[in-house]
Amino acid sequence: MNDALLSLVTPLVAALIVLTGPAMTPRRASVVVLLGSALSFVAALLALQSVTTSGATQTLNLGGWEDGLAIRLRLSPLSALLLAFTALIHLLAGLYARFSRFTSGDDFWVLSAFLHTALAALWLSADLFNLYITLELIGLAAVAMVALSGPKAYQAAADYLLLSLAASMIYLLGVVFLYSEYHTLDVIQLGTVSADSARTRLALALITAGLMLKGALWPLHLWLPAAHAGAPAAVSALLSAVVVKGPLFILWLAWTEVAPADLAREVGPMVATAGMIALVAGGWAAMRSPYIKVLVAYSTVAQLGYALMALGLLMSWQIPQMHIALWLFVIAHGLAKASLFMAAGEMQGTLGTRRLTGLRGATQTVPIAMFAFAVAGGSLIGLPPSGGFLAKWVLLEPILSQPQNWPWAFGILLGTLVSAAYIFRVVVLAFDRATINPPDTRPYLMGHWLALLPALIVWGMALLGEQLIGLLAGGGV
Amino acid sequence: MTVELLPDLVLCVLLLVVAWSALFASTRRDAMALFVAFGMIVALVWARLGAPDLALAEAAIGAGLTGVLLLRAARKLPVSSARRFDYRRHLGALTFIVVAVSGFAVSIILPSPADITANNFDSPVAAAMPDSGVSHPVTAVLLNFRAWDTFLELLVLLFAITGLRQLFPIEKESLEPARTWQLLVSWTRTLVPLLLLVGAYLLWRGSSGPGGAFQAGALLAAGCVMLRITGMLPPLHWSLFAVRGSVCAGTLLFLCTAVLTHSLGAGWLDYPEAHAGTLILMIETLATLSIAIILTLLVAGERKDLCS
Repeated sequence: MNDALLSLVTPLVAALIVLTGPAMTPRRASVVVLLGSALSFVAALLALQSVTTSGATQTLNLGGWEDGLAIRLRLSPLSALLLAFTALIHLLAGLYARFSRFTSGDDFWVLSAFLHTALAALWLSADLFNLYITLELIGLAAVAMVALSGPKAYQAAADYLLLSLAASMIYLLGVVFLYSEYHTLDVIQLGTVSADSARTRLALALITAGLMLKGALWPLHLWLPAAHAGAPAAVSALLSAVVVKGPLFILWLAWTEVAPADLAREVGPMVATAGMIALVAGGWAAMRSPYIKVLVAYSTVAQLGYALMALGLLMSWQIPQMHIALWLFVIAHGLAKASLFMAAGEMQGTLGTRRLTGLRGATQTVPIAMFAFAVAGGSLIGLPPSGGFLAKWVLLEPILSQPQNWPWAFGILLGTLVSAAYIFRVVVLAFDRATINPPDTRPYLMGHWLALLPALIVWGMALLGEQLIGLLAGGGV
Repeated sequence: MTVELLPDLVLCVLLLVVAWSALFASTRRDAMALFVAFGMIVALVWARLGAPDLALAEAAIGAGLTGVLLLRAARKLPVSSARRFDYRRHLGALTFIVVAVSGFAVSIILPSPADITANNFDSPVAAAMPDSGVSHPVTAVLLNFRAWDTFLELLVLLFAITGLRQLFPIEKESLEPARTWQLLVSWTRTLVPLLLLVGAYLLWRGSSGPGGAFQAGALLAAGCVMLRITGMLPPLHWSLFAVRGSVCAGTLLFLCTAVLTHSLGAGWLDYPEAHAGTLILMIETLATLSIAIILTLLVAGERKDLCS
């Protein structure tokens, strides 16, 4: 637990140093925040090691009060993994923001460190009200980061803020109902006492609706493309890679721990169907989008469909393998999407256009960024041996083993086809060297290479596949 | 049927009427004035429900500071012509109302598993009160049992002010204080010392009764806002260390306490029992400072405050 708390505190300390420190230029701020992220990453890895060697989930009652009175923090293999993942994404996005030519705004540093703190607090929390506050923190930091783009992003940021606040209120109302029924906010305690009653159903419905709106899960995703496409590239990478995963984590907690198993079994198919529709509808919108970043943003909607589907099938079948699939998807998608957004940012900055058609001949003019885009896209499609393939394989295995489950496999197949279509649409344009769109400026290669880095990591995930599956196999909590 | 039912019913009806008229007021200015009145009635309702802490916070923040914020925002909006009532724009709100009201009705009709008014909320709190270092249960919950929540709430304010700073680069000229109205100036001179006194009292009172950092901070902020809009207080430049320092002070002390109790003491935010009261008062004092400055900046902050 010590290491996990260290991983939580370091980004906050970095942010406070940046805020109060004397003569804090953006350059110095970047060094402080990057150091904080690196330290946090190391601490998270140590926490991961300690929790896997001890083999047991560790809990900590804050303030030393007894259960039910105190807020409980919980370090499970999954939360340790997510801590490390968040720190890694922040490190990668920070490095990109530091060395890319396209600036993300002076306050990017303090805001990204804040966001990191809030996410770490979310992964560790096991208290529904505490989770609500972390959601608020994440929402505020994310909205502020969207506004970093300047006045053109204000509309998207304002919509995001209002929807995010509405979603928080709906979630909070659900939590109030649960509290009035069971007199506790602790997830672990709720799991032992919750029963199938009308009030519990109402509470879970509200919680689910709020979280789906916050996490841009289909059909409540409409705010996402504008917000994610409007932000600076490094911010979009953070938003798509980690921010939308926070609400997903709470949704997962609510349905696997808080909800009674029978109720989860009943609702599971609906969630999985929503996921399947998200795959196709998000992919279709991505395929038709005329702008590079909007395409990538819609692809987030589609890819969250896999996670939603894994969650739904987990709920209806209650088999631990779906835990593994769900969280492998989250991690593989996070890394791939970070790479896609950074590459898209570099390409649209260098080529001077936001339109997809501007990417004609990109394999010649911005080869490294285009390579990053294609490699990361390969993981989204699920080409072996990438992380996306690993996750999809784990998801497909139990589906294919039972003939009555084949309709779900058909949904996944359709989703894969659509994602292949929108990725190849970009790649085909990039190979069109007959009518090249000449770059505005000479490409500044550092940013391109840094955009490639997360894509390489996600392809390297296959090497760690066995360890990752073993880590998540304990049921995740 | 008791005598108390009458004022309660009057409050309920008043609440609905004021809410309705705030929503459908013909001009923006009326709507805002009614919104402030609505906040005051909500504060009364909270007081009537036996939640004086909430009543204080609602009166200071919900009615007071939010009202000022609305009025300031309205100055920057173009003067609107008469509003057309478009049903399509209100469909979302209508759905929400239907869902909320039916949810509320369902939750009332549903058999409650345990009597909500029973004391089973209070019992663990009541049992732990002697070890908490304070004698007011609300303060004990906020600053001791669930101190981590309060710490994160302070971070919410910090995030909000950092976010607000992103919105100012476009504003070409900042709004000068409106021509200073003599009555406002003399009222400010009278009210601000009183606000300071009441704020300090609420802070001190928080350990044994209703009050505490958020209420005290909101009152102090109200004083600062009045001084700021009458031009008696110079701009709070973000570049000044004193401003940034006081914005972060509450969070910093809270964080130091957490880290020190973790590394030297019994655990994360586990106050040593003998010093719990002192520690809580110290944290509340610095939190009050931070809250006051942040709320002042949030409400009255302009480009020359936040981006220089």
